[in-house]
Amino acid sequence: MMNLTLYKREWKANWVMLVIFMGVLTMYATMIVSMFDPEMGDSLKVMAESMPEVFAAFGMADVGQTLLEFVTGYLYGILLTAFPAVYIIILANRLVAKYVDNGSMVYLLSGPQKRAQIVRTQAVFMVTSLVVMLVYVMGVIWMTSELLFPKELEMEGFLRVNAGLFGLWILLGGVCFLCSCIWNESKTAIGISSAVVVYSLLVQMISQVGDKFENLKYATPMTLFSVDGLIANESEAWIMCAVMYGAGVLCFVVGVSVFKKKNLPI
Amino acid sequence: MKTIEINHITKDYGGRRGVFDLSFQVNQGEVLGFLGPNGAGKTTTIRQLMGYIKPDSGSVSILGKDCFAHAAEIQSSLGYLPGEIAFMDSMNGMEFIRFVAKMKRMKDLGRAPELMEQFELDASGKLKKMSKGMKQKIGIVCAFMQDPDILILDEPTSGLDPLMQNRFVDLILSEKKRGKTILMSSHIFEEIEKTCDRAAIIRAGELVAVDSMEKLCSGKRKELQITFAEEQMAAAYVQAFDKAECAAANKRTVVMKVGKELDAAIKQAGNYTVTDMDIHTQSLEDFFLHFYGGDE
Repeated sequence: MMNLTLYKREWKANWVMLVIFMGVLTMYATMIVSMFDPEMGDSLKVMAESMPEVFAAFGMADVGQTLLEFVTGYLYGILLTAFPAVYIIILANRLVAKYVDNGSMVYLLSGPQKRAQIVRTQAVFMVTSLVVMLVYVMGVIWMTSELLFPKELEMEGFLRVNAGLFGLWILLGGVCFLCSCIWNESKTAIGISSAVVVYSLLVQMISQVGDKFENLKYATPMTLFSVDGLIANESEAWIMCAVMYGAGVLCFVVGVSVFKKKNLPI
Repeated sequence: MKTIEINHITKDYGGRRGVFDLSFQVNQGEVLGFLGPNGAGKTTTIRQLMGYIKPDSGSVSILGKDCFAHAAEIQSSLGYLPGEIAFMDSMNGMEFIRFVAKMKRMKDLGRAPELMEQFELDASGKLKKMSKGMKQKIGIVCAFMQDPDILILDEPTSGLDPLMQNRFVDLILSEKKRGKTILMSSHIFEEIEKTCDRAAIIRAGELVAVDSMEKLCSGKRKELQITFAEEQMAAAYVQAFDKAECAAANKRTVVMKVGKELDAAIKQAGNYTVTDMDIHTQSLEDFFLHFYGGDE
């Protein structure tokens, strides 16, 4: 199924990068949570009213009153999608295309393991490292909330939103991983996967600014992650969530099968 | 038994790059040299043997198994030294050797310590900071440490100093005695001459010749340059030995291209007082030219 030696080696090679990204996310998460102030009124809201377009672009337009709505509104709109996306782009390239580009793939294939086994290991590594990131970020948000505002965070809704967030990560991960499997050069793989991600984020931002561009939301996969819908437990939101998981997994599967069959210039 | 079989493979990269209708075999226990100038298609052929690329047409097999479909199975009896070596830069040499041993499912490091001693390799440094020669040595260790029955080596001595090149030749000779099947590419004739039983020569992706070393060497010429003590001696030599001619720059010097006639040329020169002698071995390009031209 997978190769443990390679899996361990990937942890050794990539844990520093994971820690750095988790560090940045820790900073944002604790900052946002601590800004929540149920009694004094929402200081961020005052700021939001002063520049509504900017806040709308980042999906922070109608942030509700509860801690859950506040946290998901400010964090899950852009911070927890854009930053992990950067991590995903870099990691996807490191896991496949880089080895092919510099030729060290020779040594990953030097044992009795099939190509599929090697590349599956890389996919599993990506997914598990995203699980680690998600569990960590959830932990940070939950602990900060409990520390500052005990029992304010509605746990079930919080878990639902995170289930959706992970779906989005899987989708982005799948797309970037597929790019990494298709192209033999690092810079092509990175270029195309970042183009896809930046496009998706930008279109999402534009679609949130005003009614004029609202329909653009159908042109970006980011719309599939419906924070409000998941908080409200709407079935439509769950269907879109399932689509993200499905499409993400499909991308991983296609990536593995492309890599299995392609010509490797190593 | 044919250990490695290449059957009419074509892999066209366009612009006359690639290999075209190439066929040859490597027999069990044989060392086959694979010669050709840069860009002749040696590496393209080897990549097909390693199962990294599929031929457009034709077939390649090792131990009777198709190289692309059964790449993973073949790997367990195969050692490979890539022409352009690349490692994981973040590791140090020893970590890398251990990693490769594990990827090859070896219980320990096998012959690695012995080989490292033989090539005077200190693998403790970061791979990123290693010289070409050091990397080459690590590549050699990784190719041989499992003690595989078949070895595919792409320009194995590139980057090695002459002392280490000789050690490498010794290693090949001892592996040959132990019955290993070896395919070794090179653009340096001498290296192949010292180690191989047969050689396959390719140019522009097409096979030029596959033959025993003796037969190939008979076509090989050396340029001999002899300087005599006096001009008359040189003149007399030119008269006596019709392949020789006087050098333009120096009347005391004669130059000639000799193959099988080497013995006669030297014995003839023994009649006079020789003050200096130079021997230039033909470059591979010259050799090819000669090869196509037959006897000049």
